[in-house]
Amino acid sequence: MVQYIKKLFRKLDDAPIPEKDPIVHSSLGMPLAISAFLLILSLIWAVYMETAGLRPWRAYQEEFGQLYQNALKKIRPQRAAEAGAIRNSEGYLTLQEELQQAETDVQSQLSTVEGEEQNIRERLAVLTKPFADARSELQATIYRWETVKSESVGERLSHEVEALRAKSFSFQFLDGDSVTYTYEELENTFNGLKNRQGELQAEKVSLLRRPTEMRSEMNAYMNDRLTGLTETQIDGLINKTETMGVFIRQIHNEEMNLVDRCESCHMGAREPVDLSADQMDGRSLFASHPRRDLLAIHDPETFGCTPCHNGNGIGTVSPVRAHGKYKHWLRPLYDKGNFEAGCIQCHRLDRHLEGAHTFNAAKDAFQHRGCMGCHAYEGFDTEPAQMREVHKNLQDLNADRITTQIAVERLLEKGDGAETNEEAHLAYTEATRVTQSIATIDADLARLNVRLDELLMERKRPGPNLKEVRNKLTKEWIPKWISNPQAFRPNTKMPQFRLKKAEIEAISAFLWQSGVNEPVASQPMGDAVSGKGLFDSKGCLACHSVGEEEDRLGGDFAANLSRVGEKTNYDYLVRWIHNPKERSLPYDPVLKHDVTREDYETRGLPFQFDPENNQSPLGNHSLQVQNSTVMPNLRLTWEESRDIGTYLAALKKETAPLPAAPFLEDTKLFERGRFLTRHYGCAGCHEIAGLEDEGKIGTDLTVEGSKPLERLDFALLTHEAKHDGWYNHKGFFERKLKKPAIYDQGKIKRDLEKLRMPDFHLDDKDVDQLTTFLLGSVESIVPPQFHNTPSGQRQDVQTGWDLVKKYNCMGCHQFTPGQSKTVMAELPFYGGSLAEKLPPSLVGQGARTNPEWLKRFLKNPALNSASPHRNGVRPYLDVRMPTFALSDNEVGTLARFFQALSKQPTPYIPPELAPLTNRERSMARELFTSNAAPCLRCHATGDEHTDPEKIAPNLSLVKARLKPDWTQRWLVHPEIIRPGTAMPSGLFRREGDRWVFSLANFRSFKGYTKDEAELVVRYMFEYTPEEQRRLTRGR
Amino acid sequence: MVKDPTNTSNPEEEPEKTRRSPSVIVKLREALQPLLEKGLADLKAAKDYKKTQVWKSVFRHKLDETPRTRALAVLTNVFLHLHPAKVNRDAIKFRYTWGMGGISFYLFIVLTLTGVFLMFYYHPSKGQAYIDIMFLENDVPFGSLLRNMHRWAAHAMIITVWLHMFRVFLTGSYKTPREFNWGIGVVLLVLTLLLSFTGYLLPDDQLGFWAITVGTGMAQATPLLGHEGPFGPELGMTAFNDIRFALLGGSIVDANALLRAYIWHCIAIPLILSVLLAVHFWRVRKDGSISGPSPVILESEMKKKYKI
Amino acid sequence: MDWVQLWEIVSLPDNLPIVFMIILIPFFMWYGFRQAFANDRLIGRLEADPALAKTHHRKVEPFREGWDPKVHVWPYLLRIELLAAIIVTVILMVWSIVLDAPLEEPANPNLTMNPAKAPWYFLGLQEMLVYFDPWIAGVVMPTLILMGLMAIPYADKNPLGNGYYTFRQRKFAISAFCFGFLVLWILMILIGTFIRGPGWMWFWPGETWDHHKLVFETNRNLVEIFGITAQPLAGIVGGAAVGLYFAIAGAVCHKLITWNAFTIRIYSQMTLTQYLIYQFFMTTMLALPVKILLRLLFRIKYVMVTPWFNI
Repeated sequence: MVQYIKKLFRKLDDAPIPEKDPIVHSSLGMPLAISAFLLILSLIWAVYMETAGLRPWRAYQEEFGQLYQNALKKIRPQRAAEAGAIRNSEGYLTLQEELQQAETDVQSQLSTVEGEEQNIRERLAVLTKPFADARSELQATIYRWETVKSESVGERLSHEVEALRAKSFSFQFLDGDSVTYTYEELENTFNGLKNRQGELQAEKVSLLRRPTEMRSEMNAYMNDRLTGLTETQIDGLINKTETMGVFIRQIHNEEMNLVDRCESCHMGAREPVDLSADQMDGRSLFASHPRRDLLAIHDPETFGCTPCHNGNGIGTVSPVRAHGKYKHWLRPLYDKGNFEAGCIQCHRLDRHLEGAHTFNAAKDAFQHRGCMGCHAYEGFDTEPAQMREVHKNLQDLNADRITTQIAVERLLEKGDGAETNEEAHLAYTEATRVTQSIATIDADLARLNVRLDELLMERKRPGPNLKEVRNKLTKEWIPKWISNPQAFRPNTKMPQFRLKKAEIEAISAFLWQSGVNEPVASQPMGDAVSGKGLFDSKGCLACHSVGEEEDRLGGDFAANLSRVGEKTNYDYLVRWIHNPKERSLPYDPVLKHDVTREDYETRGLPFQFDPENNQSPLGNHSLQVQNSTVMPNLRLTWEESRDIGTYLAALKKETAPLPAAPFLEDTKLFERGRFLTRHYGCAGCHEIAGLEDEGKIGTDLTVEGSKPLERLDFALLTHEAKHDGWYNHKGFFERKLKKPAIYDQGKIKRDLEKLRMPDFHLDDKDVDQLTTFLLGSVESIVPPQFHNTPSGQRQDVQTGWDLVKKYNCMGCHQFTPGQSKTVMAELPFYGGSLAEKLPPSLVGQGARTNPEWLKRFLKNPALNSASPHRNGVRPYLDVRMPTFALSDNEVGTLARFFQALSKQPTPYIPPELAPLTNRERSMARELFTSNAAPCLRCHATGDEHTDPEKIAPNLSLVKARLKPDWTQRWLVHPEIIRPGTAMPSGLFRREGDRWVFSLANFRSFKGYTKDEAELVVRYMFEYTPEEQRRLTRGR
Repeated sequence: MVKDPTNTSNPEEEPEKTRRSPSVIVKLREALQPLLEKGLADLKAAKDYKKTQVWKSVFRHKLDETPRTRALAVLTNVFLHLHPAKVNRDAIKFRYTWGMGGISFYLFIVLTLTGVFLMFYYHPSKGQAYIDIMFLENDVPFGSLLRNMHRWAAHAMIITVWLHMFRVFLTGSYKTPREFNWGIGVVLLVLTLLLSFTGYLLPDDQLGFWAITVGTGMAQATPLLGHEGPFGPELGMTAFNDIRFALLGGSIVDANALLRAYIWHCIAIPLILSVLLAVHFWRVRKDGSISGPSPVILESEMKKKYKI
Repeated sequence: MDWVQLWEIVSLPDNLPIVFMIILIPFFMWYGFRQAFANDRLIGRLEADPALAKTHHRKVEPFREGWDPKVHVWPYLLRIELLAAIIVTVILMVWSIVLDAPLEEPANPNLTMNPAKAPWYFLGLQEMLVYFDPWIAGVVMPTLILMGLMAIPYADKNPLGNGYYTFRQRKFAISAFCFGFLVLWILMILIGTFIRGPGWMWFWPGETWDHHKLVFETNRNLVEIFGITAQPLAGIVGGAAVGLYFAIAGAVCHKLITWNAFTIRIYSQMTLTQYLIYQFFMTTMLALPVKILLRLLFRIKYVMVTPWFNI
């Protein structure tokens, strides 16, 4: 080698001329040998890469086999112990005895049967072959005979057949006896034996039925009591580990065009034993799937792994490849913290997904934090879109109506001017036909108008109505608030915009000047102490909170009111508490401005607007007559409202007067302010004069997760991101959410060009949840037939959850057994007291109440218009079930929601109850009035003197409100249906197939054979106020 | 099978033999005798195999060190016969030829082989193509090696071809009588580039897609024939009838383009290239083997008037 | 200095061939010219000493009386070919085992790659797109290059240096070719690979490729400098400029071919056609660097502007 190189670098022409011809005499042996050697090396290398280097899963599988076996051997003893314990348990042993008994019973018969069977088997062994030969020979000959042409040959063959038939066979059986058969006999014997054999087998099965049943019973007994596998099963697994070969484990789903080989390395994932990392000496890659419950719903054989977890299911050459964590793979594995992102692509339509906490929390945050104010996302804030559509349809229909109208007139004219009667007749009939079509159009119009009214009620905005600022707020407070909401009210949902002083002033000025000027009726002061009492007890705290940091109290759904006194105008506050829906002026969604008092007066109409009379004086269309706030009406009296108002108005932190803000009156700022307000998308969350129909200023996030990385603008941080390894979707979202302005870093922009997303002061948990949410919001790679598209009751549940979350019903009520304690239940005032003092739990509500009644109740929880300031069902509760001003549509949805949630058939048809006989009625009365069953001691009777200390609903509601079958269940087992209820259990005892009243035996009950619980139910479903008065008198 | 006549000392055969007439054995022995001799003869013959018919049919000449044999070894071998029997003693030096032509040819062979194997695993259809490549990389035994070799050999071939041309120029080997072969060489160079270029699209990934988009983008600027080229529009060229459309089988790089690239890459161009290769080699021989190193000619020896 | 990125570019599997070229080209330049100069020295000696010229075997390769001027292909050549084949195979194997052929995201027409680069061997042409319109850079130029290459044997009338390395006897031909091959082809490829970043903008080696980089470049047309914009005048003036260039370049090329007695002798052998071919391709080739310089130094986009095409 060396001299070759030396030669290379020598001047050519002063090379010495060798004696011998260098070409002929030099040898290439050395270089050839070396290069050949290198070639072999490279080949070996290639083979190594093929077998091991690029096939890491081989090594993993070897390793797994070993570790798994050890793990199994470790757990085997305790499994064995447990199984052993069960085997020695009372029940098991008895079963065992029974089994042995059964076996001995059939033993004798069994042996005879088996004996005969054996004998037959032997005979058949001898007969089968000769018979088969004979038969085939015979058949062959017959066939030839059948198909032969020439007479003579046919003749001969017929004789042959005869011969074969006549041929005789003799046999010598093992048991000694020997026989001789003709073909016929042979055939019959053979078939006979065959049949007999069949019979015997059947017999055997029937004999063994009982023992087999016993066995399966024993296994069942074992499995019911086992917490895991039996030691035999473990042994099975251990054997498996020994025989388990090294090969690619793959899930293949043609439909989904899916090939997942994840289990070639993650072999523990689906093993029947739960393997933790430390069981597999710290190798978490061998641990079994932590969420078997999820696997149970999503069978891996169908769904594979990557649809949920992402990653490259085919890539087996290295972990990096397999996990898709390399530059050119578009779907890298989700990190542990974000794994629920995988749910979204198929469950996008679910508002509430059982068990997916991050998923639900993220969706709640997106709704309540007001993300949806600026960002569109499938399924959120749909009302405006629906409204637009309805409006459009209305216009089209009106147009149709006019054209058809004209058509009719044309036809009529044609009819009038017709020569013959026939023509005229034709024209007129045609005219009438068309006229009918107008009728249908009108019907549609009516339907759409109704829907429009509903939408006007249903649309809620995340933020308050800013048209009311003049009535509502302390003038100077506005700029202070806008500049930094968090400073004034920690973790408010109002985000902090990065505004210059001038901008703040302009915006405040615009808002102030654009506010309506309707005066608010001034209110006398009330009593703060009783106000506090009411505030704490009426349920305000289910959504609102007071106090800061550790002494914070109440829910975080709505504002923290600790400093509300610093900002609000007392009069407005009282009006708001009395009825939050009340507006100063109605809004005309068609003419797009507020309707003023003058508009009414000039048309001589009374200045009054509410859901009943919501027609615009300026045209025949509906107005928006309510504030689009989710805050419900608690049906408080004016006194109560004043008291609470007084209490709240006193809630202050800084009493020092705010700095004067003269600029608020500066009309020059108006236009600028208006512009900025639009620019920053304030109208996304707030109702602002002139900006009611602003679109969303943010990007649609429905498929943000599958936006190409190149389209996410890391701006000047791109290189830092690449360098620090967060140049990916997760990195982008996390940082953006934490610090929305981050990607302006280092950029030199004019104020209006800067990123507008405000700062929400999200904590890490929120950030994680929302990041997961966005990561999962992708164009699904899973074909639609695998998506979860709720329909029927499952859809009812989802739409229902929408409302429940929208109005924060969970603040007071519990819906699912899984749900954590409600805000109300956590409040100290309710700590000790009875469950009866709390809002009722709604678990199983659908089974309990009649949906028709429920609708009525939701419309007006007072259940009457006479005295609205109370609860309809539970007047004795301090907490007030408020009126949510739900649209008929929403009410229907909720009713269906409850039915669906407790799997009730819809529609509900009340069962017919047999009417009471006089005797039964008197029996029931005796029971009700007796001291043994003092029903009316707890159940309200509608008597305002006694009711307040009652703790149970008025029984006269039962008929309309409850379902009979549930009522009976309730009478018998209240404790089971609602633990901790004051309704006494054990009122009835089981006697044969009927329930009997157990606390006393009344004379009149003697000889009554029907079910007494049922009797009580029937009585209650005939119960009337009149009856009730009668009873109360009776006591 | 032949029953060995000697092996008759088997105890239980004794009675049999006595029963049967002895003449049978004798007959048998006589009958087998000639066969036996022939067999032995064959074994003898097999000792010097070089005289066998098979051997002679394969090797037409002796394999000794004589000049004749050496010449025949080359001339009678289909693979070697594109060499002459003898070459300029200095021409075999790496120093003169750099071996680039030969290496290019060798790489072409490697490419053909690997290419054929790759074709077994590849469907030229949108979507499937990409999956096939992933399949190659992860499943196919030696799949990724195969693919890598194909790609890198292609790149290497381009380099070697360029260097080959460079060398030929430096040694003035394009001069009379080799002008035409130089022309062929230039065409071969183009074909090599086109081969590599058409192969670029086949994985149907971003890299190929945009490379081809940029590449064919130029075609639409062809004067007269491209819809963005000078006088193209005037001649009624649109995105749907111009030369780019013809290349891609569409106005965008899509399924058709993939198919065309595939066919050009796997069938058309290789065919043309191998034909021209044959011509190239043949001309090398006919134009008096490789050009040098030939003795230097001095300026003073230039004729006053010379024809070329 | 962004070494990380520089490494990223260099270590990009598809750029490796270019890295090889950076090594191979200089090596073979040296390797070839070393022999050329050796031969030139020999030629010098022989020119000086006619007696020696009669006897000498006229090669720098060693030679003695009795050595066979021709040797058998088998085994002397074939064994070398075998060696070469093996070595190439080894290199290829190792290269393929160590480096994976790139496979990027599935083709996505909606997502443009930035920079979208042609295969490395066409980067020279893509670089030309900066200086010329696509129809020149993408179509005319490649065609001319090929035709030019093919025309070489017919335009080069120099009988010397056929079959041996020499510079002294072919100064002009060799320098012209080297200029074309190294400067106009290889160098352009290197620029296209290592210098051209996102947006096909100029990034010095080690300068970070910033997708957000913006540069202010006002490119004007030659004629605009003289304040001429109106057609057809602009077209005519531009055309004149082009004509002027060709006149000058033609003169230069003529000077080169009539440089000294030797070149004149060759020139005298040329037919008119050959001379014109020579002129056409030389001047055209020289046009490239001229235009490049005009663009890089004076920011001149077009010299000639017509309604149909621009040059």
